[in-house]
Amino acid sequence: MTEKTIIRFENVTKKYDQDTVLNKVSFEIERGKFYTLLGPSGCGKTTILRLIAGFIEPTEGNIYFNGKVINNVPADKRQVNTVFQDYALFPHLNVFENVAFGLRIKKMKKADIAEKVKEALRFVNLAGYEEREISEMSGGQRQRVAIARAIVNEPEILLLDEPLSALDLKLRTEMQYELRELQRRLGITFIFVTHDQEEALAMSDEIFVLNEGEIQQSGTPIDIYDEPINRFVADFIGESNIVPGRMIRDFLAEFAGQQFECVDRGFSPNETVEIIIRPEDLEMTEPEQGNLVIKIDSQLFRGVHYEISGYDQAGNEWLVHSTKRAAVGDSVGLRFDPEAIHVMRFGETEEEFDRRLEGYGQNGTAAAEGERQ
Amino acid sequence: MKKNGKLAQSYLVVVFLVLYAPILYLTYYSFNSAGTMQGFEGFTLEWYKEVFHDTRLFIIVLNTVVIALLSSAISTILGVVGALAIQRVRRNRPRNTLLAMNNVLIVSPDVIIGASFLIFFTMIGIKLGFTSVLLSHIAFSVPIVVLMVLPKLQEMSPTLIDAAKDLGASGWDVLTKVVLPFLRPGIFAGFFMALTYSLDDFAVTFFVTGNGYSTLSVEIYSRARHGISPSINALSTLIFLFTISLVVGYYFLTRRSSRKPDWGVVQP
Amino acid sequence: MTRTRNLYLIPYAAWMLLFVATPIVLIVYNSFFDVEGHFTLGNFQKFLTPVYLRMTFNSFWYALLITAFSLLVAYPTAYWLTRTKHKQLWLLLVIVPSWINLLLKAYAFIGLFGTYGFVNSVFEMVGIGTQQILFTDFSFVFVSVYIFIPFMILPIYNAIEELNPSLVYASRDLGASPWMTFRRVVFPLTLGGVKAGCQAVFIPALSLFMITRLIAGNRVVTLGTAIEQHFLVTQDWGMGSAIAVLLIIVMAVIMLMTGNRGARNTIR
Repeated sequence: MTEKTIIRFENVTKKYDQDTVLNKVSFEIERGKFYTLLGPSGCGKTTILRLIAGFIEPTEGNIYFNGKVINNVPADKRQVNTVFQDYALFPHLNVFENVAFGLRIKKMKKADIAEKVKEALRFVNLAGYEEREISEMSGGQRQRVAIARAIVNEPEILLLDEPLSALDLKLRTEMQYELRELQRRLGITFIFVTHDQEEALAMSDEIFVLNEGEIQQSGTPIDIYDEPINRFVADFIGESNIVPGRMIRDFLAEFAGQQFECVDRGFSPNETVEIIIRPEDLEMTEPEQGNLVIKIDSQLFRGVHYEISGYDQAGNEWLVHSTKRAAVGDSVGLRFDPEAIHVMRFGETEEEFDRRLEGYGQNGTAAAEGERQ
Repeated sequence: MKKNGKLAQSYLVVVFLVLYAPILYLTYYSFNSAGTMQGFEGFTLEWYKEVFHDTRLFIIVLNTVVIALLSSAISTILGVVGALAIQRVRRNRPRNTLLAMNNVLIVSPDVIIGASFLIFFTMIGIKLGFTSVLLSHIAFSVPIVVLMVLPKLQEMSPTLIDAAKDLGASGWDVLTKVVLPFLRPGIFAGFFMALTYSLDDFAVTFFVTGNGYSTLSVEIYSRARHGISPSINALSTLIFLFTISLVVGYYFLTRRSSRKPDWGVVQP
Repeated sequence: MTRTRNLYLIPYAAWMLLFVATPIVLIVYNSFFDVEGHFTLGNFQKFLTPVYLRMTFNSFWYALLITAFSLLVAYPTAYWLTRTKHKQLWLLLVIVPSWINLLLKAYAFIGLFGTYGFVNSVFEMVGIGTQQILFTDFSFVFVSVYIFIPFMILPIYNAIEELNPSLVYASRDLGASPWMTFRRVVFPLTLGGVKAGCQAVFIPALSLFMITRLIAGNRVVTLGTAIEQHFLVTQDWGMGSAIAVLLIIVMAVIMLMTGNRGARNTIR
C-alpha cells in the first residue's frame, strides 16, 4: 500500500487569521489514479489543491509526498503542476513560449525544449499552433495549452482547479472524455477540483466530497451515488428524496406513515434516521399497486424524462423521474424495491459508515434470512 | 447609437478649429519674412536658420531633453517599484494612505509644488540648477508612473504568479519573466507620460531653476515677456512636429500590444 | 507568498517621505515666519486684510468662471465625440494640443489677440473695429478655458463611454424623449466625470500665474501670482507659504467635497 501512496495528508488544518478553511483533514492519494475533490464553493477543495501545489502552507498537520514531509517546500521545487481555473496563460508569450516556460526555467537545451513542447502540444491535439498568440485561441484551446504547459514538465501529479468551468456545456462534456483519456495515457495522478457533481461522477476513479473544511465521504463514484453517507452528500450528488424516518428494527424502516422492508441493518431499535430514495428508483403505477400514493403537484419535461413532483399524505414531497407523463392533480402510486431505500444515520463518521456497509456485504443476506424466521 | 446631426458636426468643427488655431497661427507666421505675427510679407526659412544657429537656445533644448529623459527614466524605475509596493500592501488603511500620498503631487497646483520644493532645496542645501530641476521633475513624475502601472498590476491575475512558481520559477524569475513583461504597456505609458510632463513643465521648473540654468519653457516665458520674436514661432513649429511624432509613435506602440491606447492627461 | 516582506516599500516610502511629506511640512513651517526669520502669525493676519481677501475672492471668481465655461463647452463636445465614427482618433486630436507646451499656446494667443492680430483683423473686416482684447478679463478667461478644456473633456468623455448604451435604449423604450433621456439618464450617470473634470480644472485655475502674467498683463492678480511674487520677487517666503498653506487647505476641502474618486479619474 505505502509505495502506491503518493500524497498523504495527516490531520492537516489550514487557517486564515481565525478562519478555519480546512479542519484536520487526513487522506491518501494513490499513484496513477484520477481523483476528484468535489464540494460547494468555500468547502476547502481549492485549499487542498493549493496545499499540494505549495502555494500555501498548512497551519497544522503534515503533508507527505512519496513518504517525505513537504510542508515547507516551495511551489517551484515540487514535482507537481497545476492547470488553473482561469488557465493563467502568460498573455505576453505565444503558445510555444507558454508551454516552454517551465523548461526554460530549468535551463534545458533549446533543441530538447522544441522537441518536448511539440510533443506536449501534439498530446493535447494542438500541433501546429505553436506560433499563435494566446489572445487568438478559443476557450477550449486555451485550456489545452494550459494542460500542455503543465504536462510538459512531466509532473508526478497534475492538479486541475475547476478547469472546465469556463467552457460551454458541449465543450465541457467533450473535455471530460479527453481529460479522462489523457490521464490514462499519461498514467500519472490527476487531482481534479470541481463543484459539478456530474463531472466528478463521469471522470473519477475516486471522489472526495468536501463540505465546510472536512471530507464528508470518499469512494468510487458508484459508491458515493448509491450510498451517500449523509444528507449533505445525498443532496449534493444527484437529486434525491430525503424524508425523516425510523428504523423499527433491522430490515424494517418506517417513513411517510408506513412501514417498508429494506436491506439496512445495524441500527438501535426505533432509531430516528433519514431515508433517501433516488427519483429514478421510483416507478409510477396505479394508486392501489404502489407502496405509496402521492398527489401530483407539478411536472416538467426535461428531455430524457419527466420530472414529476407530488406530495404523500404525510406531506413529504416526492420527486419522480419517469419517461411516462402524468396529469397534475392525479393521484398515483409509487413503487420501489427494498434495495432502493437507503437509510442514513445522523452524525455517522466515515469509518463507522464503511464498517456498517461492509457488514451488509459479508453476511447481510444470511442475517436477513435469520431475522425473518 | 445615433449619428450626429448637422448642429453637432458644426459644433465639433468649431471646437477643433479653436483648439488648433493658435498652433496653426504660430506655424504660419514662423514662415513670415516680416518677423511679426501680423501681415504675411513673404515666405522665409530665416527664423528656422536662426533657431539652429542660436547656441544658447541649443544648450537649453539639450538641457530640457536631458532632464526629460533622465527624470522619466528614473521616475519610471521608482514608479514601478512604488506600484509593486502598493500592490503588496493588502490592508486597506495603509494602502489608502499610500495612494493618497501618491496623489498629493498630482492634484497639487504647480505653484505650490514649485514653492515647496524651492524651500526644500534651499533648506537641505542643494544648489538650484540641474540637480534641483532633475529631482523635482522626478518627484512629480513618480506618482504619474505609479498611477499608470498600478491598474495594469491589478489587472494581472494572481494565478499568473502562482502558475510561474508552479512551473519552477524563482522569485526573481517571476519578476523578470512574468510581472515586468506583463506590465510593459503600463511601464511604457508611464515613461511616456513622465516624458511629456517633464517637457511640458513650466511652473515647477520656474521656481527651482537658478541663474544660468534654464529649460525651454522658462526660456520661452522670458522671451515672450519681451514681446514677439519669430524664432519662437519657428521653435514652436519644431516642437509641435516633435510632439506629433511622439504621439504617433506612442499610438502605434500601444496599438501593437493590441490595446486601445490610454491617453493619459493630468492637469497642467 | 505569506511571509515575503515587502522590500519594494522601502525605496518608495523613503522617496515619498522626502519629496511629498517634507516639502509640505516645510511650507507649513515657513508660513509662521516673517522676512527676518522671527516666529509670527502675522502672515495669516495679513491675509485677512482687504487686499488679500479681494485677491482670494478674485481667484475664486475667475476659477469658477473658467470651470463653468470649460464645462459648458466640454460637455457637448465630449457627448458628440462619443458618437463620431473614429472616436479614438478624434479624442486623440482633442488631447494633442494639451501636449503642446503651455507657454507656446499662451504665446500664440498674444499674437492672435494683439492689437494688429488675427482676431482684430477679422473685427476690422466685419466692421466692428479694433478692440483691446489682450490684457482684459475676457482674454484671460478665454485662454484659460482653452488651456483647460481637454482636462474637462476627457473625464466626461470617459464617463459617457462607460455608460451602458442599453440604458439609453431602455429609457427610450419606456417612453422618454431624447431630451428627457439625456436629462434623466445620461447626465446623472455621467456626473462623476463632470465632477472629476471640474476638479481637474478648478484647482489649477485657482493658482494660475503664467497666463495671468502673459495674457492678463498683471491686471488680474490671483493667489497664484501672489505666491510667485512673494517667493521670487519680494523674497517674502513666509507670506508666500501662508498663501500656499491656505490654498492647500482649500484644495483638500474641495477634494473631500467632490470625493476622492475624482482625483483618480483625472489620470486615464
